[in-house]
Amino acid sequence: MLTVKNLTKSFTDASGVVTALKDVSLTVKTGEFASIIGKSGSGKSTLLSMLGALDIPTSGSIEVDGVDIAKLSASQQTAYRAKKIGFVFQYYNLIPNLTALENVTLALEFGGMPASKRKARAEQLLDSVGLTAKEQLRKPSRLSGGQQQRVSIARALANQPAIVLADEPTGNLDSETGKKIFDLLHKLSRSENTTILAVTHDMDIAGKTDRTFKLKDGKIVA
Amino acid sequence: MNVVSRDIKNAFRSPMRSGAIILMLAISIGLILSMLVARTSVNSKIDEVKSKTGINITISPAGVMGFSGGGNALTSDQLATIVKTVHVASTSATLSDQMSTSDTNLTASLELGNFGARQMRFESASSATTNGGSTATSNATSADSIDTRPAPTPRTTVTGTTNPNSISTDGSDLTLTSGATIDGNSSALIALVGSDLVAKNNLTVGSTFTAYEKTITVKGIFKTGNKFQDSGIIMPLATAQTLTSQTGAVSSVTATVDSSDNVSAVITSLKTALSDKADITSQAEVAAASVSSLQSISSLALAGVIGATVAGAVIVLLAMVMIVRERRHKIGVIKAIGGTNRKVIGQFVTEALTLTVIGAIVGLALGVLVSGPMTNSLVSSSQSNTSYSTSTTRGGMGGEMARGFNRIGSNFTQVTSSITPQVFIIAIGITLVIAVIGSAVPAWFIARIRPAEVLRSE
Ligand SMILES: Nc1ncnc2c1ncn2[C@@H]1O[C@H](COP(=O)(O)OP(=O)(O)O)[C@@H](O)[C@H]1O
Ligand SMILES: [Mg+2]
Repeated sequence: MLTVKNLTKSFTDASGVVTALKDVSLTVKTGEFASIIGKSGSGKSTLLSMLGALDIPTSGSIEVDGVDIAKLSASQQTAYRAKKIGFVFQYYNLIPNLTALENVTLALEFGGMPASKRKARAEQLLDSVGLTAKEQLRKPSRLSGGQQQRVSIARALANQPAIVLADEPTGNLDSETGKKIFDLLHKLSRSENTTILAVTHDMDIAGKTDRTFKLKDGKIVA
Repeated sequence: MNVVSRDIKNAFRSPMRSGAIILMLAISIGLILSMLVARTSVNSKIDEVKSKTGINITISPAGVMGFSGGGNALTSDQLATIVKTVHVASTSATLSDQMSTSDTNLTASLELGNFGARQMRFESASSATTNGGSTATSNATSADSIDTRPAPTPRTTVTGTTNPNSISTDGSDLTLTSGATIDGNSSALIALVGSDLVAKNNLTVGSTFTAYEKTITVKGIFKTGNKFQDSGIIMPLATAQTLTSQTGAVSSVTATVDSSDNVSAVITSLKTALSDKADITSQAEVAAASVSSLQSISSLALAGVIGATVAGAVIVLLAMVMIVRERRHKIGVIKAIGGTNRKVIGQFVTEALTLTVIGAIVGLALGVLVSGPMTNSLVSSSQSNTSYSTSTTRGGMGGEMARGFNRIGSNFTQVTSSITPQVFIIAIGITLVIAVIGSAVPAWFIARIRPAEVLRSE
């Protein structure tokens, strides 16, 4: 269960104060697949970074399974990111000098899995997203965009997180590949009972999710 | 996969850049080591020069240097003044003279050579002028000498001294090859004879020779290894004074000061007491000039060590900051997926250490190779000034002072560069400091990278 109450986030930079999120409140049940839509600059990424403890809210609370992550210490936040959250990025963000397998292994290492078990678990994850044994040993530069996003989904799911946060996971893929990736995320949320929040521009995709939140100028509408 | 081997592999992801960093580091570490070696070697030489030349002061009559120059010998009153001066522990007085063939039955063992012959001719010409017209024979000689000067004859040096050991060239006691030493305070007709003169005249301990119309008994034979000394005769001071009809006169006094700290005080009080009647020189003063030039090499080397350390640290620092900036996004991603600051920083420190260790190995090897030549060129380039000034004075000088200068001069060229384990440990310590500085600043940058930035569109 994810409960966000009165979440506000302001940035102060050279040009002054920008309020990216204004008094956002929402609830997502465990295992639900929710989508977030909204124009560019409406605060979608900012909301995800708050939920993923990449940044600290200016005010408000974020409760994940009864724990307010806004009140965690820096090292507790890191541990929360490692164990409870899985990220999927628009540009995949795989580590370029590590193979697909090593990228997943690295997440398992951060999640605290003993070294002896990591390889088997990583192979199993990459199998489940549809990468062949050969492809698993390639570096990201030798994989297609769709394959890289599959690796990144495998990495996000590595430590059986409570929530997967996906920021425009299909934004850099052609619509057919994008649909496959989305179906993959959907399937996994069912089988693993993982809560998924995905930002998207694609209304077709948004229509298939359990719930849709629309952001406008940092506020939830509809 | 092992985290450490992954990090070390990272250090070589860009071989050109890593190579350049390692090379620059190696040069600065090599420089650090050789500068450290130069500094330690020079410092130990400074201590050596200081300890060897510390406490002797030479007082000679004003205007006299060895056998050259003019002026009056020091009197017994002046000698008494020197002896009574505070901090003077002991004194040895000498009176030197040269015997020609008319003064002794000994054959001189020194070859005149071109240099000696020239001096001798100059002296006989001037004496001819002074004595000119006193006798018919000398008149004739003087007239002849205008066209054909008489062949100059080598002379034998007689040194009357209160302390025969003061003749020794190396600061220790005079080495006797046979017989026993003589009492410098006696007035008997006895002598120590140099080994070269002994060989030339077939003398042994107990044999006698004639000098100044008196029969002198050989008590001992000495060998200093210095050809000039070993062709001379040492007598008690009083004996030499009587024989040369210069009762009470001395041509040089060496005062030994109780501690090297008091040398300059003693020089000051002697200068006041004897005013312009004596020239006062000390090896300490001469050495001070040498020491100060050595000291400037030492501080130059220290500046080199500091400069090279700073350069090395800046190289590693800039390289690591560059690498951090380049991998900023990657660091953000690692943090976003749960990598701790410690893990990321650890990776960069390992990388910096890998580069530094390789740079250090190459640099230390380089330092071992160049530190010898580097020390020598540092010392000899600054020494050329000093040796110039000593050699100009050396020419006109005989006896004690010249020996003193020679001693310092030869000490000087003997600055040996040696790489002690201590210097090596210091160099390695400095390298570690470089690595720490080179890692700490990038670590601070790493800690400040916000993972939220990976969500911002590039
Ligand atoms: N680190 C930041 N500093 C300043 N302003 C920021 C920062 N991050 C986001 N913003 C601003 O907050 C607003 C929302 O940004 P974002 O959440 O990235 O929008 P979206 O993902 O919906 O396109 C924008 O106006 C953006 O300029
Ligand atoms: Mg965005």
